[in-house]
Amino acid sequence: MNLSFNQESCTGCGACVKYCPGHVLEMGPEGIPYERYPDDCWYCGVCQVECPQDCITLLFPYLIR
Amino acid sequence: MKDPEVMEADFLIVGGGPAGCMAAIRAKELAPEMNVVVVEKAEISRSGAAGRGMDALNNVVVPGISTVEEYLEALEIVTDGVFDPTISRVIGERSFGILKRLETWGVQFPRGEDGNYIVNQFHPKGRFLVEMRGELKKILAREVKRAGATVVNRHTALDLLKDGERVAGAIGLDLTTGEFKVFIAPAVLLCTGGAARIGLPNTGYLHGTFDCPWCNGESWRMGYEAGASLTGFEYTARSSMTRDFNGAGQSTFIRHGAWLINGLGERFMERYDPERMERAPAGIRARAIIEEEKAGRGPVAFVFSHLDPGTIELIESAVFDVERPTMRDYFRNKGIDIRKDPVEVVMTEVYLCGGHGLAGLVADAWGETEVPGLFAAGDSLANPYGFLTGAMCMGEAAAERVVQKDYPSPTSPDTASKLKRLEEVRLRHDRGRLGVSLRDFEYKFRRLVNDYVAPPKSARKLQRFLDETEGMVAEQEDVPARGPHELMKAFEAKAGLFCARMAARASLFRTESRFGLYHERVDYPEKDDENWKTRVIIRAGMEGPVVEKEKK
Ligand SMILES: Cc1cc2nc3c(=O)[nH]c(=O)nc-3n(C[C@H](O)[C@H](O)[C@H](O)COP(=O)(O)OP(=O)(O)OC[C@H]3O[C@@H](n4cnc5c(N)ncnc54)[C@H](O)[C@@H]3O)c2cc1C
Ligand code: SF4
Ligand code: SF4
Repeated sequence: MNLSFNQESCTGCGACVKYCPGHVLEMGPEGIPYERYPDDCWYCGVCQVECPQDCITLLFPYLIR
Repeated sequence: MKDPEVMEADFLIVGGGPAGCMAAIRAKELAPEMNVVVVEKAEISRSGAAGRGMDALNNVVVPGISTVEEYLEALEIVTDGVFDPTISRVIGERSFGILKRLETWGVQFPRGEDGNYIVNQFHPKGRFLVEMRGELKKILAREVKRAGATVVNRHTALDLLKDGERVAGAIGLDLTTGEFKVFIAPAVLLCTGGAARIGLPNTGYLHGTFDCPWCNGESWRMGYEAGASLTGFEYTARSSMTRDFNGAGQSTFIRHGAWLINGLGERFMERYDPERMERAPAGIRARAIIEEEKAGRGPVAFVFSHLDPGTIELIESAVFDVERPTMRDYFRNKGIDIRKDPVEVVMTEVYLCGGHGLAGLVADAWGETEVPGLFAAGDSLANPYGFLTGAMCMGEAAAERVVQKDYPSPTSPDTASKLKRLEEVRLRHDRGRLGVSLRDFEYKFRRLVNDYVAPPKSARKLQRFLDETEGMVAEQEDVPARGPHELMKAFEAKAGLFCARMAARASLFRTESRFGLYHERVDYPEKDDENWKTRVIIRAGMEGPVVEKEKK
């Protein structure tokens, strides 16, 4: 797990999924995004800056944390 | 198998980074009726190396501050004399025009107290780095759309099409549906960036690379297979970056005057390049860091405490607000405050890059390769240390040439045979007879790069790499990869392995030492200008790769 999503404030708008340059994220069945391919994350922060609700916290991949 | 969708274009651009964006904008500007298509692996406004942000426009010849001749002199030093001044001259001459265009679109270039652009020195000679702010990539993407080019997002290019000797388009993979898509075009620009996933970072995290991990040399594999030549693959670059985070910082820190110190607190560059210190050519700085570690004087770190508070603020705003905001979180998690704490440095994995290295496709002053209609720009083109500006200048140049030449439409592209081959590859990955994960496959060849291709090099080690990985080439298509995302990754790994083997071949061929650490041959420790101050070229021959010196 490299990211955490604030489930309270996420509106499920999908911006993070759309803009992630590495296709890491997918929309889950509950309308909340999740990390489909966590090993492909470059911790670039694009999802974070694109989230209009500011609900993504970057935890960083464990190997670099 | 259902017939794939076919899209026709006058000009196909593969990769929507700064190079591809600028090419699309320029082509539509000169020929509004032209059908320009950009095929992009991700979403164009946030894709690639520059997707998050960039804090400086490197390299710009700002009138009154530097000249094109000085730019070429700086490159002569940085590249140890091994570069093509034709392309670099084009970049030098066009560079200020690019800055001005970006400024009219809303990219910000803050002014100093004297009212002029803030231009700093990173290279051993001359000042070419202009401080920049704003969302460069979003702005470029907006201009691409405004110009009327068609952007096909979330498609990765897998192979080029040919019509006899000429290029005829490409085949892409729709990353949403998993279908192939055919693009027919008489002119194609390859600009998918450099190759990040070559060596293994010391964290062991495959995507924890310095350069953008989704750009992995696919332009090089596709271009080479279509008949274009490669150069500079022996320039196996490694940068000095923030430990573990492994990205961003070095250039910002150095251009604003940060010092490198060893574990004893000594400003050790004095020992290796007393005149240029931290601004020594990258390969010399890299060797110095490794020597210090080897001598037990590590760990090496950047320090900032000697800088005035205004400069520190500038560094923080550059890195934290623009280039890599996640670094702020990273430093916070680690408890690092650059006002007082050193930032430990690690040497990154080996990577290959045309825009901040020497590796890339060989082309003329317009970026056209030996394959008629096939162009390269940006980090995919050998345009040593051209960075962002080089990418945009050569994107523009390629577009101008395509408009001027008006290439005839392909009459008999080899679509059917290429599609058949791709279907076979997909089926093999789907069966996955090898039964090992893509991750293990990639980890293995990248570990071998660290062991045998990373400097210091020797013929024994380089040959060993080629022998050890030969079997991996034969079995790479049997690695299980199901669905579009995994297939994309399988192609990225394939290109990575291709590039690593080319790096080994070029390194084996250059029987001298050059570029500081980057091409240190223990069996040929001397630099030999008489025989080797020339580019090494790799092209496809009848019986495999032909490696030779550039013919003047
Ligand atoms: C961490 C970092 C910091 C940097 N900082 C600076 C700086 O401050 N100033 C500066 O001037 N330069 C900087 N650079 C260098 C600069 O980012 C590059 O030189 C520049 O982005 C090159 O542009 P490009 O268009 O060639 O490639 P990229 O920007 O890498 O774009 C390549 C594009 O191709 C797409 N792509 C990849 N493979 C495929 C495929 N098979 N099919 C379709 N699309 C594909 C990618 O998604 C991407 O959008 C930095 C680089 C890095 C890594
Ligand atoms: S940090 Fe970057 S790579 Fe990771 S999920 Fe967010 S956008 Fe994707
Ligand atoms: S961008 Fe933010 S609000 Fe939108 S889906 Fe992603 S996490 Fe939720």
